[in-house]
Amino acid sequence: MNSLPILSVQSVSKSYGTIKAVSDISLDIPKASIYGFLGPNGAGKTTTIRSIMGILMYDSGKIMIDGQPLTRDQLDRVGYLPEERGLYRKMKCIDQLVFLAELKSVPRKVARKRAEEWLERLELSDWAEKKVDALSKGMQQKIQLAATFLPEPELVILDEPFSGLDPINIELLRNIILEERNKGCTVIFSTHILAEAEKICDSICLIEAGKKVLDGNLEKIRREYPLKTVKVIYHNEEKPPEELPGVESMELKDGVWKLAIDSDTDTDLLLDKLRKAGKVDLFSANRPSLEEIFLNEVHQLRQEFTA
Amino acid sequence: MKVWAIIRREYIEKVRTKGFVLSTLLIPMLMSLMFIIPMLVDDMGGNDVRTVGVFDPSGEFVNQMRDVLELRGKDNYLLVETGADEGLTEGITDGTFDVAVSISPDYIESRKLKFYSGTVSSMVNMETLGPVMSRILSVQRQTNAGVSDSLQTYLLARPSWEHVSVNETGETSSANEESTFGIAITLIMILYMMILMYGQHTMMGVIEEKSSRIVEVVLSSVSSTQLMIGKIAGIGLAGLTQFSIWSLVLVWGSKRGIEISGFTLDGSFLTPTILVSFLVFFVLGFLLFATLYAGVGAMCNTPQEAQQFAVPLMLCNVIPMMLLSLVIMEPNSSIAVILSLIPLFSPILMFIRICMETPPLWQIGASWILMLASIWLALKTAGKLFRVGILMHGAAPSWKTLVKVLRQSD
Repeated sequence: MNSLPILSVQSVSKSYGTIKAVSDISLDIPKASIYGFLGPNGAGKTTTIRSIMGILMYDSGKIMIDGQPLTRDQLDRVGYLPEERGLYRKMKCIDQLVFLAELKSVPRKVARKRAEEWLERLELSDWAEKKVDALSKGMQQKIQLAATFLPEPELVILDEPFSGLDPINIELLRNIILEERNKGCTVIFSTHILAEAEKICDSICLIEAGKKVLDGNLEKIRREYPLKTVKVIYHNEEKPPEELPGVESMELKDGVWKLAIDSDTDTDLLLDKLRKAGKVDLFSANRPSLEEIFLNEVHQLRQEFTA
Repeated sequence: MKVWAIIRREYIEKVRTKGFVLSTLLIPMLMSLMFIIPMLVDDMGGNDVRTVGVFDPSGEFVNQMRDVLELRGKDNYLLVETGADEGLTEGITDGTFDVAVSISPDYIESRKLKFYSGTVSSMVNMETLGPVMSRILSVQRQTNAGVSDSLQTYLLARPSWEHVSVNETGETSSANEESTFGIAITLIMILYMMILMYGQHTMMGVIEEKSSRIVEVVLSSVSSTQLMIGKIAGIGLAGLTQFSIWSLVLVWGSKRGIEISGFTLDGSFLTPTILVSFLVFFVLGFLLFATLYAGVGAMCNTPQEAQQFAVPLMLCNVIPMMLLSLVIMEPNSSIAVILSLIPLFSPILMFIRICMETPPLWQIGASWILMLASIWLALKTAGKLFRVGILMHGAAPSWKTLVKVLRQSD
């Protein structure tokens, strides 16, 4: 995917008074990909997203869509689901969808037709003429999703879309994201739920304290990320040899040995040595999970910061 | 285009509410009740029996009073003679008499007549009895001077009045001052209520958007200024709809002349000038107040907070109503001119001046220009509050943050 990125954030900074919420962040989001925007609370995710959506004025930097500056008119191509989601409570569902689509310059008639289709797709057709007040929380979330995707945006930004969803709606959202991506839509979402990000993201970006920590293709990051642990299970509860090259420490938990290793340890050689102590049932040198990478990076950064 | 969508949404959602439908129907009814009840009360009160204590040493005067009262159809005045002056005051204090009169023995020469009254409401009685007694005095003096009966009838004939009101274009019409004033006050009440109510609707609408968190989605599609303008325009159009319905009811009602217990609403007062300036003052007044209310709404999180912050604005709504009588008494005094040129007061005070006595055109023009300038200023201020405040949640606003926001440059 070496085409032009659909969205390019270039050295964007934003301060609130003396607090730097985002400093010098640059992102390139590949077209038709699912992009995970990760970071702990208060890292600056929402500020970055609001800057992209033109809700906040950022202090410096540039934001480009398809190589063009992202102006208010261009924002019609971008869908947005904020973290704090809401609907007009006294409005009928269908009217609500039509109104929100009109705000993205979708003609009224087209908007109405698509709204009906979306309600059907989300099994909410019976609720079209009901006021939002009458809907359950889960249904309201579905309406919000429909409102986000209904204008058929080229790019969708979802801020913490999984928070507060039940497992069924999480699956629904995941399917919608994948379907829309397959249709050519680019989806950016921020989340804490790393397991979800890991399942569907093509690329990720990790930010902490307003700064970018790492970004790129998820598979590539994981492949290149230094291994930290190896899991070993012996057949007859043997103990690994005392002296192992490149192993810093080891511990036994529920019959599984966890070996902390150096990044340049030769795992082949390690397995050979382990075999000498007995029959090995399991030797796992898995790539680190996104959660491990996330925690590792954040901890490292915070240690550096306090040091 | 997008602003139209916002305007349409605001308008339709507003017009569909039960509150809108109910108030559109009920207010004209309440208004007409406001007219009818005092008239009915007055009418019924007018026929109550009034007991009048009379001390008349001559014994002739009281008989003539009975004759004249009967002649004039005032058969509800019961005249009771007393033997002495002192009995009259007592009679009023113990409630035997409503009012009393005392005739001096040499009244024809000295012209001394005394009127005793207990309460302020005795004005009505004085208005009725006064002319009756003057007439008797005149008759007696003319008789004494040797004027013949037929000549007396000629001399004492009462004028046959016709009241013609002239409007600014020189057209004339027969006027009924009481009903003209009634209509003017009704129009003022409508203006006052509409500007206050719809201004507050705008504020509540902004808070609802904030508290339901829809605002962030909306702001990802339109600018905060577009949202604010769309909102004000939509609610304003809903107000204008209601306003037009009420005005039509009023015009129709008064043109047809609603006859209630002999009282006719006089529609000739509702000239195009009055109606047009009514409309202009509603539109300008609404825009000015609604914009300011929208700014307050943007800074607050809950209706309670907003009510607190809106107090100065609400005062600006109410103060002209309190100054109303001052302006009515002397519509062209310099204090009335100055007050009616203050943009926040103009909708009420300039309009009542137009109703009372057409002020110089330059003053009306100046009030409009001043209001337009204030609206522009209010839009700028509220726009700023909107931009900053609309995404603020949590902390209750303070005057300090308000000032800070306003001081920030764009």
